[in-house]
Amino acid sequence: MSQQVNQNVVAVKQNEDYCSNCSICSSLCPYEALKKEAETGKIFLDIEKCQVCGLCYSSCPARAIDTLYYDLDSLISYLGKAKQEFDSDALVIMCKGSAPDFSGVEKLFGVSKFIPLMVPCVGRLPEEIYFNALLMGIEKINVLACDEDYCRYDRGSLVTGRKILALNLLLNQLGYGQEVITLKRHSLKVKVDANLCIACGNCVFYCPYNAAKLESPGGINFELTSCRGCGLCVAMCPAIALDLENWERERISTLITKLSLEMEPPKILVFRCQWAVFPPLNGGFSPNIRFIDLPCAARVDNFHILEAFLKGIDGVLIAACSEEDCKQEKVSGKAQHSIAALSKRLSQIGLQDRLHFCSVAPRYPEEFDKELEQFSQKIKAIGSKES
Amino acid sequence: MIVTTQKSLNEILDFISSYANILIVGCDGCTQPPRGLREAKTLGQLLELGGKLRNKTFVFKTTSVAKQCDDYLAASILKPQINGVEAVLSLACGIGAQTLAEVFPELPIFPTQNTHFMGAEEREAGILEVRCAGCGDCLLAVTGGICPVARCSKGLLNGACGGSKGGKCELDPERDCAWNLIYERLKKRAKLELLKEFRPPRDYQLSGWKVTV
Repeated sequence: MSQQVNQNVVAVKQNEDYCSNCSICSSLCPYEALKKEAETGKIFLDIEKCQVCGLCYSSCPARAIDTLYYDLDSLISYLGKAKQEFDSDALVIMCKGSAPDFSGVEKLFGVSKFIPLMVPCVGRLPEEIYFNALLMGIEKINVLACDEDYCRYDRGSLVTGRKILALNLLLNQLGYGQEVITLKRHSLKVKVDANLCIACGNCVFYCPYNAAKLESPGGINFELTSCRGCGLCVAMCPAIALDLENWERERISTLITKLSLEMEPPKILVFRCQWAVFPPLNGGFSPNIRFIDLPCAARVDNFHILEAFLKGIDGVLIAACSEEDCKQEKVSGKAQHSIAALSKRLSQIGLQDRLHFCSVAPRYPEEFDKELEQFSQKIKAIGSKES
Repeated sequence: MIVTTQKSLNEILDFISSYANILIVGCDGCTQPPRGLREAKTLGQLLELGGKLRNKTFVFKTTSVAKQCDDYLAASILKPQINGVEAVLSLACGIGAQTLAEVFPELPIFPTQNTHFMGAEEREAGILEVRCAGCGDCLLAVTGGICPVARCSKGLLNGACGGSKGGKCELDPERDCAWNLIYERLKKRAKLELLKEFRPPRDYQLSGWKVTV
């Protein structure tokens, strides 16, 4: 981590004046970042361990936890604007980890018009947001969580399930009818094109979850229950026979084309691991910078980086988690290795400075901003490729 | 597998500088690291970027052959795609590239790889090491499954020489002494008596140049 980053700016804070040391947060925290001190009985937050899942924020009865991302105020203000923009009375709250594309949402919930709300883990939403949504005139709330064993934050999906069960009971008692809030679970998995597979077994080596099995004869077979959708195998498949639901090669290519056209030079494209950087709701961005969020830095494909350069992008930044913070099985290290190898090849034609890999964490929001700023300065200094 | 490394992009760009329509042919066979369709596309993208910097526009088509060294396979896959192609870049080892040159004698075929040896990959470390020298007289049965012809720097049949030091070779301190490995392996198997047998110089003709199936 860069030394200049101000470590006082953190994404999660505990307000000791409000804290009653009830321990609900520490019992829920998947990372032991919140702990009760044995001697004093006080709750203590170790920000270094915190992964900013927000479970503590959404469950603190005393509102003693503050978070920079997706707090109640910003969620309510987003909903107000989004309700007008999308002109619907159905809300779909999605965990980014498991959200299919919008047509997939339609299939899952049977709604064609809806207000989308994407958050990193639905477990971070406090109950109040459901009440506020209903008060705004939203009539139907659909929640899409990850399958429980797929949850990047360990128990975010589980906690959401319990919360919604209780909320529905409560709302029913208040006369809102049954099942005002619908919960569904979904996980995005690898897809194999058997016609392209050369049965080389590369995915068997790379898969951190032993989901890929090579049988002889029989070729490759994925145990989809084990697949956690990191996309590493997809980026490493020598035969381009694999793809990842919702982050298909074609979709990312189309997105790169679209983004490149709307950007101003020097054009900077950022591939973000969606667990390394939490974009603000309603966030504005500079006309020369665009972002593509991926399920893990491992899904960043050399193909897409080179494609971006060919489509006029001047600099590509990859923002990943550190290996210790990786929500997958330390695959961000493999991603870094692959980017380093590509960078070496790019150096043969003098383009290596236009590609940069950085490890950041949402717990220090300034980390990513600083990396982006430094990279932007560098690209500005070397200028646009096209000029 | 056959171990190759890619030639520098500038060397490849020099090969193709006078052509525009180029077919890049991957190989899904034993080339390691994999040089299949993905690698063909990646190379195409890199050369396109490199070409732009030289103010040169290429049109690349990419494909891959299950085994590029198989003339029958290569011909059946590539013939339908060869129309309008002015030059071919082969991602295979030297054998695959030569097969393409035989299949398409009228076309310029350029290698994109330097072919090194027959070896194996240690995947975690990402290191490829020589394993077989193709000597035509396999000794592995008596050397504990470790080939001294390929892995001993001196190719000794009766090792180790006096230069083995701490399990490493005197010619390259990073390289394991093959005969030390053989000794340790046979010791583990309680078969050290195999080392007492003297082996005469090997018959280099056995390596051969032609085999009839």
